[in-house]
Amino acid sequence: MSAAELDLPHHLGRELLSTMRSLMVLGQLMTQSAGEEQVLGLAVTAVPSLASCRVVSVEPATSAPRPSRLAAQLASVGAAGGSIELADEPWAWAYPLSSATGPLGYLVVAAAVEPSGEEQFLLRALAQQTGAALANRRLHDQENATAAELSKVNDRLRGTVDALQRSMEIHTRLTTVAVSGEGRDGIARAVHELTGLPVAIEDRYGNLRAWAGPHRPDPYPKDPPARREQLIRRAQRAVRPIRDGGRVVALAHPQGDVLGMILLVDQLGTAGEQELMALEHGATILAMELARVRSLAESELRIRRDLVDELLTGTDEESALSRAAALGYDLQRSHRVLVVEGKGRCDDGDVLFHAVRHAARDETAGTLMMARGSQVVLLADVEADWERLRRAIVRELGDGRARVGVGERCEHIADFPRSYHQAKLGLRLLPIAEWNDKVVRFDDLGVYRLLAGIEDTDEVERLVQRWIGTLLDYDRQRGSDLVRTLSHYLDRGGSYEATATALIVHRNTLKYRLQRIRQITGLELADPETCFNLKLATRAWQTLSVLRS
Amino acid sequence: MAADPVSMGMPGVNLTPGDHTCAFYRGSRQRDDVLVPFLREGILSGDKCICVMDDPNTEPLVGPLSVELDIESCLRTGQLELLDTDHAYLPGGCFEVERMIEFWEQGFHAAPDEEEYPYIRASGEMTWALRDLPGVELLVGYEAQLNRFLPKHPQAVLLCLYDLERFTDAQLLMGLLRTHPKVLLSGQVLDNPWYVDPDEYLADRP
Repeated sequence: MSAAELDLPHHLGRELLSTMRSLMVLGQLMTQSAGEEQVLGLAVTAVPSLASCRVVSVEPATSAPRPSRLAAQLASVGAAGGSIELADEPWAWAYPLSSATGPLGYLVVAAAVEPSGEEQFLLRALAQQTGAALANRRLHDQENATAAELSKVNDRLRGTVDALQRSMEIHTRLTTVAVSGEGRDGIARAVHELTGLPVAIEDRYGNLRAWAGPHRPDPYPKDPPARREQLIRRAQRAVRPIRDGGRVVALAHPQGDVLGMILLVDQLGTAGEQELMALEHGATILAMELARVRSLAESELRIRRDLVDELLTGTDEESALSRAAALGYDLQRSHRVLVVEGKGRCDDGDVLFHAVRHAARDETAGTLMMARGSQVVLLADVEADWERLRRAIVRELGDGRARVGVGERCEHIADFPRSYHQAKLGLRLLPIAEWNDKVVRFDDLGVYRLLAGIEDTDEVERLVQRWIGTLLDYDRQRGSDLVRTLSHYLDRGGSYEATATALIVHRNTLKYRLQRIRQITGLELADPETCFNLKLATRAWQTLSVLRS
Repeated sequence: MAADPVSMGMPGVNLTPGDHTCAFYRGSRQRDDVLVPFLREGILSGDKCICVMDDPNTEPLVGPLSVELDIESCLRTGQLELLDTDHAYLPGGCFEVERMIEFWEQGFHAAPDEEEYPYIRASGEMTWALRDLPGVELLVGYEAQLNRFLPKHPQAVLLCLYDLERFTDAQLLMGLLRTHPKVLLSGQVLDNPWYVDPDEYLADRP
């Protein structure tokens, strides 16, 4: 609306133009203002400068029902605004704070006398300006909010990308270690480089296996077994690495089998998400490495076991030698087959095997061995002190029991089955001959060895029947113990005292039994020739028992 | 003959010597968008520049200026005076109008060789007036008084910097509009139609 349209004199038109410029400046200030309150405040403050009236209120436009009378009137005047009725106010008007989407509110003014046409024009222009500034402000705030949200999303995205990149770096570094065969030392070094913290790798029992970084403790502290197991159980239950005092711990447990542990030494508690990520990746690579090492060890153990098995059951020389060569083992040395029986404090079958392995390693007695039933067979490649070896096994068993049968020397591949047989024979004689736990060398078996070597056991049987056959029948029928009594009596040179003690019977019982032996056999025990034949017959009977078993 | 315009350092934005201008802006970034080109242009034109800052961090101001200017040298020679509001507006922890006018008086006359500096560019960051200190309520009256003082110094321009995010009181803003003959808004220097002659304005005040 121009001055001409308002039908104003020329000087008033200039005045109006000047006031319009004021409005424009105010509009610009509103546009740049910091908030809606500031915009509305400027509008309210400017009103007295533009028209002879006062501001009643600035009412927001809202779709919700408004209880007041004024609100009801505002609802009825709509987007164009208009006259309203207020108590004690001769003239009152609501000017819409216009925007493209409709009025954002109303500037409600009142006066004792209706303002002039140009004043009303300026008030309407001010309200429009205010509406535009408010709309602009809201748009701007909305843009700011959107930009802030976008910025937050971008930050999160950047964080995610950074974490992924870091994860890739960690993965790449540790994968390189895994494929380069640097082993546990390489893994510890890589995790140390990635975290900047000292790194230790321990076996399941807490023994240090690798260290990277400064301040390596010497000696390395080791938890008591109970505490160690407690820590492992806690780490198994946790999804992520756990803190244990000044350390952060992750298990290397492929398929649930705990093979070791990797840990960050973090006394100050500085390890964050990236360090934990590096530790977790490190634990995964360590698990792979330990599983690989164990698999290799198991494979070698299996090949060794297969070789021993073949040697004992009899194999062609070429096959055995090629297998031994694959293991880097020289089979073309003199060997003896040792068979070990034993028992530790617990009945774990592996315990005897590990006891023999450790004792044989310490005594450098041999490395090829296998478990066969309750026995362990060792192929000894040296002439060791066998009793010393046996005592070492007992120690390894934790003060258990052990007895060892030693076969004859094997100079050829084909000798192994025989040496094995001899070692077993020696072991079987132990209980029958009522010997204590000891080493039985087949070489030292004397008459037993002679008897065991006779191929025609019928002849031996006839010897047994000729001299103690009636006693054996008697014992069988009556459940008595006359052959054993006779054997002990002859072994102790006819001493009543020693024999009664060995058999744990009263002297009179022994006398009675010997009398029964004399009656049943019709033989005189004092006769040296008879004594010799009876002694030979009891040995032969024991040998036959072993051979038959 | 009209005096040469004093460039604000922004294309097409000029002041006239003797101008007392109110620059409205939002936030320190917009402040520096006004102040850095204003000072850079002043130093390059050989003008004396007096810059009073309320923000203790002057790096966002000095950093960009140092890119192409030897600010150290300007400070040493006195071509650029970088002052803080505690020493300029609030010595002794209070604001006094006469003392502040005297401050500018001395500043405008203290140039060692007035011939050396074609113009004096003064600027003041006004957020100090929002502190709860004695005398800050005299702010608008002080701005009106400057309109009596500045015509005596036609070689000077004074830029008063008001942050709309900090100065939220509409009454105060209207007071500032009425006491600055020029206003810098949205990158434009405008003759301020709200401006009221200082005698008239001060006469209306209690």
